[in-house]
Amino acid sequence: MLNLEKSFYSKTSMYSFITIVVLFFLMWMSTAQFLHIDMALLGYMIGTAVFAIGLCIRMSFWIYRTATNRVAARSVKNLFTKERIKRNAKSLTITLIDNIVLQKFIFKRGLYRGIQHIMISWGCIISFAFTFGLTFGWFRFDLVDPDTYQMVAFNIPLIKMAAHGWIAEIFYNMLNIGAVMVLIGASMALFRRIKDYDVKVTQRFEFDLLPLYILLAVTVTGLALTVSYDFLDGWMHPHISLVHQITVVIMLMYFPFGKLFHVPIRPLATAVPMSYQETLKVDTKSCKSCHQPYSNDDQIADVQAILKAQSFDLQLADGSYLSDYCPSCRRRMRALKQMNMEAPKGNPYGPVNTNNGIHLSGFSKKRSEDFYGIEQDIKKDLGEEKEHEPVSR
Amino acid sequence: MSQFLVKEGVKNQIRKGEKLVTTHCCYCGMQCGMHIRVNEKTNKVVGVEPRYDWVLTRGKMCPKGVTAYQTVDHPDRIKRPLIKKNGKFVESSWEEALDLIERKFKGLQSNYGKDALSVYGGVSMTNEKCYLVGKYARVGLGTRYLDYNGRYCMSSAAGGFNKTLGMDRGSTLPWTELEHTDCFFMAGSNTAECHPTSIQWFWRAKDKGAKIIVADPRETATARVADVHLDLLPGTDSALANGIMHLLIKHEYVDNEYVQERCNNFAELKEMTAKFTPEYTSKITGIAVEKIVKAAHIFGKSPRSVVMFARGAEQQTAGVDNVSLYTSMALLRGQIGKFASGVATFTGQGNGQGGREHGQKSDLLPGYRKLTDPKAVEYISGVWGINPEDMPKPGVSAYEMFDLMLNKTIRGLHVICSNPVVSSPNINHVYKAMEALDFLVVSDFFLSETAELADVVLPATTWAEDEGTTTNIEGRVIHIRKVVEPLGESKPDWQIMSMIAERMGKGKHFQYNEPREIFDELRLASKGGKADYFGVTYEKIDEQDGVFWPAPAEDHPGSPSVFKEKFATEDGRANLAVCDWKGPAEVKSKDYPLWLTTGRVVFHYLSGNQTRRVGFLMEQCPEPFVEMHPELASQYQVENGEKVKLTTPRGDMIVPVKITKAIRKDVLFVPYHWGKQQAVNQLTSPALDPTSRMPEFKVCAVKLEKLTK
Amino acid sequence: MNKIMYLEFERCIGCRACQAACRECGDHDAKERNYVEYVDFTESRQTFPMLCMQCKDPACARVCPANAIQITDEGVVLSAMEEKCIGCRNCTFGCPFGIPKFDFEKNKMYKCDMCYDRTRDDIAPMCASVCPSDAIRFIDFDEMQQLRRKRTQMNLVEGKKPQEGNKWDYVPEFFGVYTDSQS
Repeated sequence: MLNLEKSFYSKTSMYSFITIVVLFFLMWMSTAQFLHIDMALLGYMIGTAVFAIGLCIRMSFWIYRTATNRVAARSVKNLFTKERIKRNAKSLTITLIDNIVLQKFIFKRGLYRGIQHIMISWGCIISFAFTFGLTFGWFRFDLVDPDTYQMVAFNIPLIKMAAHGWIAEIFYNMLNIGAVMVLIGASMALFRRIKDYDVKVTQRFEFDLLPLYILLAVTVTGLALTVSYDFLDGWMHPHISLVHQITVVIMLMYFPFGKLFHVPIRPLATAVPMSYQETLKVDTKSCKSCHQPYSNDDQIADVQAILKAQSFDLQLADGSYLSDYCPSCRRRMRALKQMNMEAPKGNPYGPVNTNNGIHLSGFSKKRSEDFYGIEQDIKKDLGEEKEHEPVSR
Repeated sequence: MSQFLVKEGVKNQIRKGEKLVTTHCCYCGMQCGMHIRVNEKTNKVVGVEPRYDWVLTRGKMCPKGVTAYQTVDHPDRIKRPLIKKNGKFVESSWEEALDLIERKFKGLQSNYGKDALSVYGGVSMTNEKCYLVGKYARVGLGTRYLDYNGRYCMSSAAGGFNKTLGMDRGSTLPWTELEHTDCFFMAGSNTAECHPTSIQWFWRAKDKGAKIIVADPRETATARVADVHLDLLPGTDSALANGIMHLLIKHEYVDNEYVQERCNNFAELKEMTAKFTPEYTSKITGIAVEKIVKAAHIFGKSPRSVVMFARGAEQQTAGVDNVSLYTSMALLRGQIGKFASGVATFTGQGNGQGGREHGQKSDLLPGYRKLTDPKAVEYISGVWGINPEDMPKPGVSAYEMFDLMLNKTIRGLHVICSNPVVSSPNINHVYKAMEALDFLVVSDFFLSETAELADVVLPATTWAEDEGTTTNIEGRVIHIRKVVEPLGESKPDWQIMSMIAERMGKGKHFQYNEPREIFDELRLASKGGKADYFGVTYEKIDEQDGVFWPAPAEDHPGSPSVFKEKFATEDGRANLAVCDWKGPAEVKSKDYPLWLTTGRVVFHYLSGNQTRRVGFLMEQCPEPFVEMHPELASQYQVENGEKVKLTTPRGDMIVPVKITKAIRKDVLFVPYHWGKQQAVNQLTSPALDPTSRMPEFKVCAVKLEKLTK
Repeated sequence: MNKIMYLEFERCIGCRACQAACRECGDHDAKERNYVEYVDFTESRQTFPMLCMQCKDPACARVCPANAIQITDEGVVLSAMEEKCIGCRNCTFGCPFGIPKFDFEKNKMYKCDMCYDRTRDDIAPMCASVCPSDAIRFIDFDEMQQLRRKRTQMNLVEGKKPQEGNKWDYVPEFFGVYTDSQS
């Protein structure tokens, strides 16, 4: 691998090249040496190729980020550790079902948002799967006899179905179903983004709205194709087809570089149950100062390694790191440091001094006691020298 | 008139589809300025926006203020009248509820006389409503038994001020001057928690070098930064004040010219304070001698000082004495009537100032007129259009009303804007009194503990659903705007009172279409009285950021500082207080070996009927607790968070412990915002101040018991 | 725009108005992002407010495996983007000041964004607006410098602990996000 890498400009370009080669090999294989290629889908094919390269580049860049790399590396290592098989299987299943298939956490943010997101995501997944499959000829439908279609995947004949049976209908309309789902979801999202004050606070047009417009353009033109074909006798069909093709290519090219890129990084969420938190909200590492559990040893080790790799110096005088303390103790340390109330000086375990005699009392300014000359008066009054605290307890 | 007032150069956030309505907070006497955010389409209250340009508070708010808007559209709101049938509340129409009230009220009055009915008011509502409560009781129902919850709040301050200065305005100076003060002497006030937005003025003064002296059994957030914290025993304020005055005289800090010219009784005062040497004072109060001496020197040497006090000093059997003595401290230093100096009390309730001026008190008529003064009766009868002979005689104070309920002198009660079964002392007694009633009507917008006992509950509006004025902590009359229409069938209290009065055949005295008309009548009624509102108009309030009373003429701009030339007493001279120290009514004994004092926390307001329904506030402070010193905790072997039993001769309660060194070793503290089993007022002492009839909430003897597991 | 968040911990009276107010800000989803805590309640009532420092090179963003924490043009460090955040809580543990909070239910991190909808229009954040004790202030850069200078001088006048060498250790915390032009 090392030698191979040297023949490329960079790792990224190597992975891109491999991806493209694999892609076209699969295509070559499944279309029976390019025999069954559908030339009408050529534009899509090129777009998809660009998409694959883009995705590859982005994924490589992402995975090489210090933080991502560390977290991903630990996950991969854990994945192949025998003792963890049970935990891994459980983590993967839970993440896959809860997080990716059902998207439970989004429903907890709101029913509206849940419906909206599941519509867009599953609509997209269906459409993508179908489009890619057809474009690269990974599967196709061959007419066996006038009444029967056969599905062929990777050049291997699979199920047969009646040309007008319900299974066939579903397959014919798969793209339409996906499109309608995306149309509903994207419209809901757009409505929310226009109406809701709270989302608008940090929303950016190019990041949050543009992808919605692109998705809408794709679905609307796609559905228009069906409408034209089924109801209008193919009126304007070639034009609409062209426009649709353009929008799809734009979307494919946009995908790796915009908001939609969150899809391929989501599987990293398995890292949480797999490496950090076996049971949610149960912590095992305890704070160095208050001894309350607040995290997990592996996670703190990762965080410290990531910070160190990026030259963050968060080490304290006693050799411990700030991340060895729970967030609440860290906040307190910052306040104490600021008020110079740590006692004994610099020792985070020591008892807390709540009055250092400098800040209290008088905030920005303190009029000296001799302004009043009371010290002498008091002494005269008491007839003897007595120590007295400025603030009583 | 624009709903949204903002000065030039001030920027506020106004979201699309929303409008702002400028008003003030509904809670404490600070009456912080705020804008309420209203959705223009649904006309619902959706949030709050700071009012940066309000002179007194500058956009600052406490957590209660920030969340105040949440009570307006709260799911617990009572939207229709409730009638108790077979022990359960049933929603009914206004018609049905009023029919029942009319029948019962008339029945009781024809069988047992006019005075069988009584009215118990409150001061967390506008001047217009407070004024009308007095008129409603005396004209509408014709009863002498009328009093209000301000009796538990401001009456000792009022008594003390009237005695020494001749007039009861909570603060003799506008608080915007406070930042120029050199020294604050605060007694019995947990300012940081009870009036958080006032802290900005003290801190600003402190930035300029001001000294702060705090007298409090607890090291409150204010006491923590004080130059001297006088950690006195509860109930020993008069000894402390006498002791300080002793030192002022001894060290010649007295402003002789001022005292000679403007004060009476100096010689007597000198004689009385002679025995209060620091050692003697220290013995009574439990404060170290050094601290008393230091406090006296700081106070004596400060060119401009303000003496401030609050419920800690007032809610005692010697409340009036305490107030008079503390006021005398300021008088000795010649401070009252000058720039950035004077004397002030912290008004606890939103309209504690305005509400006590306009005849809600058993012995007072609008404009601080006395009911015992025939001239006053004649004047007010004229304004009200009744025969002076028909004016009821003075009744009894709030707590004494419950005794009359128990002996069946009072048989019917209308509670308006109050929750006496939480806020009164010795509430086990109060519950019995309430249950002895034949008929109880409560106007409220949440089902308070008192409302639960009622026969009829009338849905009132929140502060945001009606217009009016209130008088804040400084004596500044301010404008409360109507933000939204009343929820459901709820009605503002002035409408409710007018409707009942109409049913009682007094409708012609209650012909009002809007609060402004009531205010105009109030202006007239107060004209010539001590609290003269005649020159106050809604327009003037908006124009000049509130109007300080007295404003005796329409072209009068109001009086931010009072007593500049003379005092309001008969001879124009202040009466220095000559009072000895009297111990509290209940002292600790072998059976009840500790002191108990009560107070507020920053997250709750009064009986908690509103704040206990706000999510944020309940998250911060869901239940009462007892604060105690670690030394005491170790003596009783209790740990932080452990539940203990507190007992007094009147009742007992079980509360969790909070251990802190910021309290005296022999004192326990419990906040009072909860009802029923959680109410510390089951324990408090009902002993009354002889003058103000204010109960002694702040001092009683208590027994602490560790619960066996 | 050249304003600073200025914290003076010892002014804090522990009323938590800043937390109540934080819930009122746009996009805060009725959850406070700031903290008010006791130094040690057994010892005294001293509390302190704590907010995000809006670091120029934030550790939270650097430890995020999903690259979900974004910084606006003005320099405000925003909450993790909901679509990217995988809920690992690395930010919470990486932040040297213990600021980011995590919502397990909704599986997302949230943190102080200085009330971005207000500060971007030059309106003070809610916490600084309501803080009754001025423990949290939103002030001009120049005013901040003046306050800090005055503070060091007065500390020295007191003749107590701070010396010429360490006087700056004794002045309050400040942080700003719009200061590139002048700092």
